[in-house]
Formats: sequence, structure tokens, C-alpha cells
Amino acid sequence: MTSTPTASQTASEAPDVAAVAPAAPRPQMKRKPGEAVFALLVALASAGLMWSAYDISGFESLSAPGTVPMVTAFAMFVAAVITAAQTLRLPAMGGSFLREVLPLNVVLMALLLLAYGFALKPLGFLPTSAIFLIAAIKLLAKRSWGFTVLVSLASLIGIYFVFRVVFTVLMPAGIVPEGEMIQFFRNLLSKGQS
Amino acid sequence: MEMLSAFFMVFTHPQLLMLVGLGTLAGVYVGAIPGLSVTMAVSILISFTFSWDVHPAIALMIGIYMGGVYGGSRTAILLNIPGAPSAIATAMDGYPMAKRGEAGTAIGVTTVMSFFGGFIGIGVLALAAPFVSDFALGFQPRDYMLLAILGILLVGSLSGGSLVKGIFAGAFGIALGAVGMDPLTFTERFTFDLPVMRSGISFIAVMIGMFGVSEALAQLHHVDTVAVKQKISRIVPSFGTIRKHLPLSLQTSTIGVIIGALPGTGGDIAALMAYDHAKRVTRNPEREFGDGAIEGLVAPETANNAAVGGAFIPMMTLGIPGDAVTAIMIGALFIHGLNPGPMLMVDQPDMFWFIVGSLVVANFFMLIFGLTGIKIFTKIVEMPRAVLIPLILLLSIVGAYAVNNSITDVYWMLGFGVLGYFMRYYGYPLGPVILGVILSRLLDDNWRRAIISAKGDFGLFMQGIVTSPLSLVLFIAVIFIFVNQTPLWPMIKRRVFGRGKAAE
Repeated sequence: MTSTPTASQTASEAPDVAAVAPAAPRPQMKRKPGEAVFALLVALASAGLMWSAYDISGFESLSAPGTVPMVTAFAMFVAAVITAAQTLRLPAMGGSFLREVLPLNVVLMALLLLAYGFALKPLGFLPTSAIFLIAAIKLLAKRSWGFTVLVSLASLIGIYFVFRVVFTVLMPAGIVPEGEMIQFFRNLLSKGQS
Repeated sequence: MEMLSAFFMVFTHPQLLMLVGLGTLAGVYVGAIPGLSVTMAVSILISFTFSWDVHPAIALMIGIYMGGVYGGSRTAILLNIPGAPSAIATAMDGYPMAKRGEAGTAIGVTTVMSFFGGFIGIGVLALAAPFVSDFALGFQPRDYMLLAILGILLVGSLSGGSLVKGIFAGAFGIALGAVGMDPLTFTERFTFDLPVMRSGISFIAVMIGMFGVSEALAQLHHVDTVAVKQKISRIVPSFGTIRKHLPLSLQTSTIGVIIGALPGTGGDIAALMAYDHAKRVTRNPEREFGDGAIEGLVAPETANNAAVGGAFIPMMTLGIPGDAVTAIMIGALFIHGLNPGPMLMVDQPDMFWFIVGSLVVANFFMLIFGLTGIKIFTKIVEMPRAVLIPLILLLSIVGAYAVNNSITDVYWMLGFGVLGYFMRYYGYPLGPVILGVILSRLLDDNWRRAIISAKGDFGLFMQGIVTSPLSLVLFIAVIFIFVNQTPLWPMIKRRVFGRGKAAE
């Protein structure tokens, strides 16, 4: 259950069983754009981690706090180096990194998420989420503003009701007088909860 | 008596009953909608049910798990898109049936067979787990350590792709789990002298990032894919056919339970192995496999639901998750102050029987929801991704924030989301990362306990492994998985084989 295979499929394709079948791990034949750089970065980071792990307690004793981290970091490093070597040996697939790996949609959504994180505390959950949903759905669905706003707000109300009221999740209120609204819903629901 | 009351707890509390039902219903849809995975849903839900009592929280998650494993088959049959990895094998024969207009029959058979398999799994769990936990009380720390390594390696090697990347992912997870203060000596580990790192990285942030955000970002590549419309009028569960396939379903359920019970392997692998088994034992299928053979539906669907019960066995008895979802549930139990492992079965057997009871209820709900509501179902599955993805992202943020009320966790989640996106894209499995994070503590503690009891002498430690049958078996299993995946294996095989020839 580690990944959903549909992530790499379109509706018309047959399920690519060979790619996920346990018995036959199919070696990837071409190097994806940016894969070599990623593999090298991973190897580099693992090396850094190895040093950091050594720094914990060195080769003090086998039961020291640093032993397992050192072994793990070493395993990461070895695996990363092997992966990097294997990756570098593959012929490049071609294609642009930005188009294949980081299309505009992905970059924009990641930035939107980051902006959400910044705005959450000062603005509060409801306004931030409303802006986020409207922006994201407008961006992805490319439908009319009416559709976008309607769908966004309706889903936000649904989410808010379920998670804030039923699950009692606390979110920053920000500029919205949420406390009174919640109390209103609580009173409505108070009989339903045991 | 106490055992019975714990078992029936979920039946006698309407609130719990409702939660299992809701969870199962939600699970069927979560499993069916491509792009939503059970792992994703459960990891987001942990944080929402954080403030609840442990019973309702577990009831909801069990419903989602059970429903989700089944739900994937729906879209596999109707659209040829497995909604969940455990339904990959189902699509191979389910979709050809749907193309011939037999989608109703296919869904009917699938539902009843999932129900059947689910019960076998739960039955084995109820019968076997108490024995396993008795047995597990005698486990040495080194056995736990080996089991943890075995689990991580199994996920890494079986979830497809290269073992090397799997090992990297698992080790990465263990390292992530070690970040912060060492609980035994209060030494800082992997903190890079940053105060933020001192309390460690919230594993929920890692989980939601890896399974929620990264998955959603990956789905952005297919945002314009138009959902395929499918017309279906009614489901006809043909019980005559089902009786005919009972022997096969018993076999495949057994495969499912066993695979599910192995640490680290879950429904997806069980389903594929059962499909393979059915292909080998079915002599005269009415239709060829791949062309809509009912056997090709029976096998994976019984197996993947049987694997659910199986996956709970190592989780409840050893504290070692059977797959990614049970790994997350272990996290949930930790949060609620419970410590899964053999002592849980001794100290709080009612928790175990409550889980068994909830599984039974979830299985019934699955049958009910499976045989009804198909019309609404097709509508919901057609929900455009352009709306779905922003909603998943919003839920991920709320989930990550809610656990500690901390924005830092949101940033962690985003960071791991982006990292997970790249790892996913370049073929690094993410399951081992989560298993590594969850098992990091267990691995570390047990290694240190083991080596201390061997007086810090590695030779003595190895001697302990070699002289205890259990440790030896586990050790050999670890080595085997390792060697099996390296270029060394064909070489050894050739050697042995070649020598045999030379002797002739």
C-alpha cells in the first residue's frame, strides 16, 4: 500500500502489473530528467548524515546512542552510492526537467501550500482555506469564477463542519469570530454526542 | 466473559457501531477514488481523531481500512483503474467482464468474496494472535530487532522497484525516527544543533507529507484526465457461482492471511500472489484468465481482505506492523498511550477483542455497502481531480497542524511532501520510510538491550543468534532477502547448480 499505481496511469491505459508485481521488479531502462542530480544529492546528504551520526558518540561502544544512527546512515550512504552509480550508467531519457518533473501546476501548488502555512496564523483557518481552495481550483479546473467559488466554499463549509465541530480540531481563528459560531453548532449537536 | 464483553462492545455502543459503519462507507469511496489511498486517509485521520478516546478512533480507522481494501476493486472493474494497489489483480479480469456488460456480476462476486476472505482473516486473527503473543513473550530483544529489520526489508523488496532503493528508504525512515533526544542517554541525535529538531520530527507530519501531499502533487500530472463514464444498472450477486468457487476462495484466503501476517507485506502483494495461485490451480476456467475469468476476481479479492486480519496479527502481538496502514495504526495506539506488543495482549486483552469485534462489524458493513448504492458511487468516482486534489491538500494541512497545533509540523509536512514527490517520481518506495520511522525506536532499543545483555560483545551477540532457533531463522530470513536481491544470488545459484552438474 505504499503507492497508488493510478498516479502514473491515465484512464485509457491498462494497469501496468509488471511495474508493481512483486516477483518481477523490472529494471528501469532510462534515466529520468534530474534523476542523476537527485541520486547524487541523496548520496551527498547521506554522507553528511554519516558524519553527523559519527558525531553523536563516535565508536564509543556498541550500545552507545550513536551506533544505530551510524549503521543506518552507513546503509543509506551505501544504498545511495549504488543507486547513483546505477542511475549514472543509464542512458538519459531526454525531455526537460521542468516540463517532465516539475510542471507549472506542481510548482504553483507547492507555493500555494507554502503561502498557506504563512497566512494560517495571522489570517485564520477559514479565510486562508477559502483563498487557497478558490485559487487552487481555479488554477487546476480552469472553470468559471462562479463554479470555482461555489465549489470551494461548499467544500470548505463541509470540511469545517466535519473537522471543527465533529472532530473538534482546533485551528487558528485569526480574524474570524469562530468561537461563537462553534458554540452555536455545539449546542445544535450536544444531544448527538455521548 | 470480559473477552466477550470487549468483543461485543462495538455492537452494544451505537456510537461505535455508527463510526465503524461511517468508516467503512468512507473507506469504500476512499479506496475506489483513484488518487485517494487508504494509507493517505488513515494517516490524515490519525490527527483528527487525536483528541478522541481510543475506542472510537480505532473503530473509525478499522472501518476505513476494511472498506478501503475492498473499494479499490470497484474502479478496477468499472474503469480498469485500480483504486488501490490491492486491486491491481482485480482489474485484470474484472474489467473484461465489465466490457461484456457483466459488471454487476463482477461486483457482486467481488463483494461477497471480499466478505468471505475478510472473515477468514478475522477468524485466523482471533484464533492465532493469543498464541502468537504467548510465544512472543519469549522473544529476546535481538528477535525484535531482527523482526523489525525483516519487516523493513520485506516492504522494500516486495513493493516493486529495486531493493537498494528500498533499503535506502527504510534506513532513511530509521534515521528520521532517531532525530531528537535519545530517550536513554539524552544525547542529541541528528539535531544539527537546531532547537526545532530537539523534540524530534512528528511522524504524523512525515506520514501525511509522504502519503498525502506527495501523492496529491504527483496526481497533478494527470489533472486533465477525463473520468470515464460507466453505465451500470444493478448488481446481481450470483450465489451459485460463489458456492462453486468456495474451495479456491479458501485457498486464496489462506494465502492472504499468511502474506498479511508477514511483517511488512499487505493486501497488494497477497492479491497478486493469490491471482497467480488461482491461475495455476484452475484447470478449466470458463473463460481464460485476463479475459474475464471469475476465478481471477475471487482470488485477489478474498486474499486482500483476508490480509487485513492477517496484518493485525504481528501488529497486536509483536508491535510490528503488517503493512503501511497497520504501521499508522500502531502510531495511533502510541498516541493514545497504548503500547502494542505481547504485553498489550496480556495487560489489555479487551483492546484486542475490541479490534476483532470492530473488524467483524466492518466486514458486515462492507457487504452491505458493497451491494448497494452503486448509482451514487459512479457519480462520486467521477469527481474531477481538479477539485479533489486541492481538497486533499487542505485536509493534509489541517491534519498536520491539528496534532500539535504547530505550524512547524505543517512545514515539515510540506518538506516531506516535496521530498516524497521526488522519491516517488524517481522510484524510491515510500512504504519503508514510514515503517522505518515507526520501528526506529523499537529497533534501537532492542539492539541496545541485546548488545548490553551480551556484555557489549558482538561475538557473544552473534553466538546468541546462532544458538537460538528463532533468532537463527529470522537472521537467515534477513540474509536471504538481502542476498536474493543482489547480483550475488544468481552467482551462488549457478555455483551450486554448476557443482551439482559437475558431480554427475
